[in-house]
Amino acid sequence: MADSGNGKGETGKVIPAQYQPPLPLDKLLLPVGAPGAGDRMELDVVIVGAGPAGLACAIALAQLAQRSGGRTALNIGVLEKAGALGEHSLSGAVVNPRALRELFPELEDREFPFRAPVTKEAVHLLTAHRAPRIPIPPTMHNAGNYIASLCEIVRWLGEKAEALGVNLFTGFPAASLLMQGARVAGVRTAATGLDRDGQPLASHQAPNDIVAKVTVLAEGTRGMLAQAYLEWQQVGAENPQIFALGVKEIWETKQPLDSIVHTLGWPLPRDAFGGSFMYPLEPRLVALGLVVGLDYRDATLDVHALLQRMKLHPLFRRRLEGGEMVEWGAKTIPEGGYYSIPARRSGEGVAILGDSAGLVDVPSLKGIHYAIQSGMFAARAIFGALIAGDTSAARLAEYDRLVNESFIMKDLYRTRNMRLAFKDGFFVGGAKAALMSLTGGRFPGRRIGVEPDAKVERRFTPGLRPGSVVPPDGKLTFSKVDGVFKSGNATRDTIPAHLVVGKDVTPEAAAFYAHLCPAGVYEVVDGMLRANAPNCVDCKATDVVGPRWTPREGGSGPKYKRM
Amino acid sequence: MKIAVCIKRVPDSETRVKIAADGKSLDEAGVKFILNPYDEFAVEEALRLKEKAGTGEVVVIALGPPAAQETIRTALAMGADRGVLLQIQGLHPDGLETAKALAAELRDAACDLILFGKMAIDDYNHQVGPMVAELLDLPCVTTVAHLEIAGGKGTAEREIEGGVEVVEFPLPAVLTTDKGLNEPRYPALKGIMAAKKKPLDVKPTAPGPGALEILSLTPPPERQAGKIVGEGSAAVSELVRLLREEAKVL
Repeated sequence: MADSGNGKGETGKVIPAQYQPPLPLDKLLLPVGAPGAGDRMELDVVIVGAGPAGLACAIALAQLAQRSGGRTALNIGVLEKAGALGEHSLSGAVVNPRALRELFPELEDREFPFRAPVTKEAVHLLTAHRAPRIPIPPTMHNAGNYIASLCEIVRWLGEKAEALGVNLFTGFPAASLLMQGARVAGVRTAATGLDRDGQPLASHQAPNDIVAKVTVLAEGTRGMLAQAYLEWQQVGAENPQIFALGVKEIWETKQPLDSIVHTLGWPLPRDAFGGSFMYPLEPRLVALGLVVGLDYRDATLDVHALLQRMKLHPLFRRRLEGGEMVEWGAKTIPEGGYYSIPARRSGEGVAILGDSAGLVDVPSLKGIHYAIQSGMFAARAIFGALIAGDTSAARLAEYDRLVNESFIMKDLYRTRNMRLAFKDGFFVGGAKAALMSLTGGRFPGRRIGVEPDAKVERRFTPGLRPGSVVPPDGKLTFSKVDGVFKSGNATRDTIPAHLVVGKDVTPEAAAFYAHLCPAGVYEVVDGMLRANAPNCVDCKATDVVGPRWTPREGGSGPKYKRM
Repeated sequence: MKIAVCIKRVPDSETRVKIAADGKSLDEAGVKFILNPYDEFAVEEALRLKEKAGTGEVVVIALGPPAAQETIRTALAMGADRGVLLQIQGLHPDGLETAKALAAELRDAACDLILFGKMAIDDYNHQVGPMVAELLDLPCVTTVAHLEIAGGKGTAEREIEGGVEVVEFPLPAVLTTDKGLNEPRYPALKGIMAAKKKPLDVKPTAPGPGALEILSLTPPPERQAGKIVGEGSAAVSELVRLLREEAKVL
């Protein structure tokens, strides 16, 4: 398999939106009671996604129920598509501890599942051979924050939730929202044990319907059910949501590292927005990643390949050489910020949390504490609604109000235009962002508009190949197939295809997908698009600009351990 | 029909295990643990026998650390009725000490069948099932790939070299299960909910020191890189030569 295509016949331009199929709403939205389900279960609250947002919501709900002195016993269930807790969770991560402190006021910071406090930090502006340090941008200071693995945070939160009596259902993806009028009445899980043609195998289990008074969508980045709900109810935002793709590796190194490191510049082309991070989980266990906004212009840009090339730079090479890459993963990040947050994140019987609601602040590279906090706010609103016996949109709007009045919206408002300024390239964006910092977000005094990533025109520029990389050596640099192996992905290769590809995909669009997908799902073979669906690590990158991702058999996808 | 299934918590077969600093045990940091896959066949078979009989009880018993409660919950979520954890602190004892602890628990349990996986995928010992049978003075059939129970006796098929051996045995008996016996079920949502409410009895257990001592663990040697001999028909004679002279397999 070619990592980046061979470049032959890759000319011209692509507007990805022209080849993107619509959201499969007929599958994602079902009337409650629709045929096809096996078991039916009733809960007070069903939460989709056992990430920081969903688990914080479950924990906060269970705490509220407990503090009511047993007067309000709640049946809370959390559905998670990964086979075990944390296996689909990936972040940098440097975490602001404030939300966890509020969730567990009785615990000290040292009892949280963090690896180490940030003691030193550096930002470098890379060129092909040099790495001058630059002053740390005001938004990127991390004093008081902690280096952590999101997988570990999630496993820890899961234990806390279980101890409080929350039901965790790992290996059960929610595949559809159950509708009752304009109300969300629960979810239907994905079937398991189907063959390629959708025929049941011996291990087949029919989907389950989970009916609940409130359904919480905490699916993470680019949540399918959240997308379906917002489209169904036509909930808009001032700007469309835009995304970035991050590819990350974990290295056991020979050289110790005592500082968190961020880089800007090389190897990204100047019309792409992004940067790298290198965080020591332990002095000799280093998380390393590259994040690139999906509004890049060059159709052949390949984030995985760029990360491989980046490691050849002396700044990284001298730290990594002789070490071993032990884990690999990829994930998208909602980057639109303040103006891309849906006008409402609650409705009849439903609330949308964390990354699914776009609660990420790109200038500070933070989202985990917003996710946790949004879960706690949702829990408060839902608990009040359950006590009152009224889970209507009006009642659950309390969740929106809590978020709007909190530090979450204050933070996001202050940096509202910073990421958006970079649509004009690195230098113009950098200058504007600096002015925004100086003015506390008031410059330029208006919203910068953006188009959805799928509508950004991509060009094939002969000669310019930002995605190209020296052939992987298997020591410092790796192919996409190597990466997928290190993600722990052991998806049964006979499950039905879960990626919905558009009609009449041109060779150019196919080549664009092949470069974009970090897991080598898409290849161009004789000018035709071929999808190796079992490779998929659920990063959702092509869902943003091309083929749609849909939930598949529980336990499929990566098995991240320390991402 | 009362069936006991003895299960073990083992590292996931996909886990990259590391040897701990003492050189004699595994470093458990970051390791995911699962229900031993061969024990899943035993649990599944017990559930099927009970379902077929329409009545009875399936008890799962594990000897292990406190975290083995999760492993027992997995079996309860599949459908077992109750669990017993013989809880130890520290490392697993050797096979005989494990068997003695299990036998003590099972001696007065009046089970019709006691099932084990044929081996645990961590230590590959194949010992504990037959040892328990011996300690309880019960008949034992190992590596069962097909099973029929009727009229107070059983018929088991074992896959042996080049054929199938059919064994008839009286109840109660101890059986160890092999791959192919059945297709273990995934726990259903309702099963997971129900498992939380099923009884799980934790009994602190202090096995004896045992007669076996692990001196050291070492990882297997790193695989050598392959060799590409050449292409096309010209490579055949060289390949044959290498297979004969270097690999010595011809």
